[in-house]
Amino acid sequence: MTPGYHEMKDMPFTYNADDGLLYSSPCRGVWNIVHYGLLVPEGHQIYVCPTSCLRGVVLTTAEMGAMDHLSTITVGEDNILNGDMEEELLHGTEKILNTLKKRPRMVMIFTSCIHHFLAVNYQRVYKLLRKEYPDIDFIDCYMDPIMRRKIPADPSLRRQILRVLKKAPKDPKRCSFVGNCFPMNEYCDIYQHLVSNGIAISDLTTMKNYDEFRLMETSSVNFTFHRKADWAGKDLEIRLQQRWVSLHNGYDYDRIDADMERASESMGIPAPREEEIRRQRELTDRALDHCREALAGTPVSLDYTAVENPLELALFLIERGFHVESVLIDSIVESKEVFEALQKRAPHLKVYSSLDPSMRQVLRSHEGKIVAIGQKSAYFNDTDYFVNLTENAGMYGYRGIRRLMALVEEAAAKKKPMRDLVQHKGWHAGPSFEDLCEMERRREAGNV
Amino acid sequence: MSDWHVHVFTSTYAADVSGVCSAMYELGGMTVLHDPSGCNSTYTTHDEPRWYDSDSQMFVSGLDELTAVYGDDNVVVDNVTRAAKALNPRFITLCGASIPHIIAFDFKGVARLIEEKTGLPVLPVPTDGLRLYTSGVGLAQRAFLRRFGVHSAEKRKGAVNLLGVTPIDFSRQEIVDAMKEALTARGYTVNACFSMGDSFEKLTKASEAEVNVVVSSAGFLPAKYLQAKYHMPYVVGTPIGKKMGDALSDAISKAMGTGENVSAVSPAEEDSADLLIIGEEVLSKSLARAIALETGERCRVLFPDPDEGIDEDRLLSMIGKARTVIADPLYRPAVETQGATLIPLPHEGYSGRIYRALIPVFCGDGFDISAFLLGGCS
Repeated sequence: MTPGYHEMKDMPFTYNADDGLLYSSPCRGVWNIVHYGLLVPEGHQIYVCPTSCLRGVVLTTAEMGAMDHLSTITVGEDNILNGDMEEELLHGTEKILNTLKKRPRMVMIFTSCIHHFLAVNYQRVYKLLRKEYPDIDFIDCYMDPIMRRKIPADPSLRRQILRVLKKAPKDPKRCSFVGNCFPMNEYCDIYQHLVSNGIAISDLTTMKNYDEFRLMETSSVNFTFHRKADWAGKDLEIRLQQRWVSLHNGYDYDRIDADMERASESMGIPAPREEEIRRQRELTDRALDHCREALAGTPVSLDYTAVENPLELALFLIERGFHVESVLIDSIVESKEVFEALQKRAPHLKVYSSLDPSMRQVLRSHEGKIVAIGQKSAYFNDTDYFVNLTENAGMYGYRGIRRLMALVEEAAAKKKPMRDLVQHKGWHAGPSFEDLCEMERRREAGNV
Repeated sequence: MSDWHVHVFTSTYAADVSGVCSAMYELGGMTVLHDPSGCNSTYTTHDEPRWYDSDSQMFVSGLDELTAVYGDDNVVVDNVTRAAKALNPRFITLCGASIPHIIAFDFKGVARLIEEKTGLPVLPVPTDGLRLYTSGVGLAQRAFLRRFGVHSAEKRKGAVNLLGVTPIDFSRQEIVDAMKEALTARGYTVNACFSMGDSFEKLTKASEAEVNVVVSSAGFLPAKYLQAKYHMPYVVGTPIGKKMGDALSDAISKAMGTGENVSAVSPAEEDSADLLIIGEEVLSKSLARAIALETGERCRVLFPDPDEGIDEDRLLSMIGKARTVIADPLYRPAVETQGATLIPLPHEGYSGRIYRALIPVFCGDGFDISAFLLGGCS
């Protein structure tokens, strides 16, 4: 990539790219609220917005082949002039529910920016709907980017979905993983530790039915792995008195151990023994050495869509002898300690913002091979050698680090069709276009 | 009770803001969508097939709550000015979605302020995010002509302009090229194609043509503007297949001779027809005429209203009266529910990029209507 970057030494800790005009790159792997809402088994989403806002959510759903789980109520000029947003919301929802072939157990109703500005009393409507359909859980959800600085839609949804959970007797042997998009299991230390100690785990990403979802209210502890899940964890702690343990999805060994100890204590189980910790550390060190040797000095670029703490990962890799050349971030989410350590350790590290308008015309290329961790770093470096993942992809702790190293090695050895992969909306959320077109061809062939 | 607002299972058409961005995409300008965020990635992901391979400038203003409440237009003025100075576009287009609309954002005034600060022409296109893309394309093309259109005293004999051309309806350049070829093969010259494949300079000389051809309903607004300003008649129709190409050619010839507007398309309602076409108005009516000319079969047409889209109840009712439906594959569930057969004809304006690979080159003499009716897009 040609200029458009700042050197790490010049970055202010308060940096935030959401300041000015914003550019939208073709990389679409990060999940949006539609993807997350579709995790709810037996759920149905209703979006109430003007056409311009509806288009994105409807086609997200269509691309997942999940149109039977989403309906819309278009806000028109007539609604604005007549001031009948509440009536439209009520009657529209009734019509949708009375038309659907299968009764949903949960209905998520998303209002939009325009509802805030017209002071729509949607809570009144939900009250009426709850009375009319007592067998359905209605959730007020929000697709209102105008409020993004105070109440971003994504963390809000991860909290709102869980608002249906009621206070229930706690099961000391049950916990929940809250607010993650991908199953936290094979590559997650906490999962392995809890399961081996007989703890049952509720995780929305693996649920098959709504009853399983409601079982989350019996959990004693909720674990979160992402900042976007913090509101959900805190809300459940206040409302249901379920203990909230926020786990730092980072790379500092001591911090991983401390988190494991906290998690174990919260569930009343023993923490991993010292020899186990030692074994995990050794295995992880070996994986890092192996990966570094496999890369043989090949530069690495990484971005914030791939991992929760991109600067921390950059620091970790640099300390382990990797050649990290650039990082793409839109704000700084790490602690000041990590930030300053990276500034000291890698003052010339290139830092790009993917939102800045100048990135539209940056030369997307890299002289020589580069391995990217994340879609945006792959796109802007124009490299097919990349790890295709978003939001940590179910990785946590030592196992997570080892998995990441394996993926980096694999990426360095084998090209991927970057152009096609990064444009797919919602990583691992639905079929590819090729699949959808093939399906359409087959359906058509059946008619001919 | 029927209510156009409610869509239980059907998709939605591209919005006016996407239409503006799409119409301006190839002209070297910077399009700024005044909106919090979301509309921009919707456009770049679903409505703009050229996004990955080019570096055209389209950005969102990132309007936030406080800026909207205070009505602080300096924020957008300063931000656009800063970006324009860095990226040096040829001109700037300013459009907006629903929040600027309800806070009565002064597109014209703000455009003027940005123009003063940057020294660049700034085109205000007051969209509201509530209407369909056809409205946005039309407003943008008219704004371009108003600002940059050059009056020509001399007409180029046999020259026509194509109005309402964007990838939202025509997907790929090869489809537009086939449309142009259908006209040049019949002795006409395509003076300017608004807005795919032609340069900024070419489009400024629209008034050199004798006749405008409205090839999608997005073209009506610029056509009416050009008629009022330069007394240019317009013809409605798209050359889909050989016989429709001939019919359109006859209509253009008539318009050139009489100076009157001429329509080459079928009417929407043919009550007894078994075949229903769902899609953009002019394209669907042109396809209906093409089918009538090629096979003798009559068709009904259902097209979205720019304000209301397609009412789902009316959709089901019309499909219920049809035996066969030509429509985007996303209409398949509705078609099959009513026991009809779908002939898929994907439309970027409806299903976005999903079925792009299945969109046939539906313009020009090479499009075989009979084969299409038998085999759809496979």
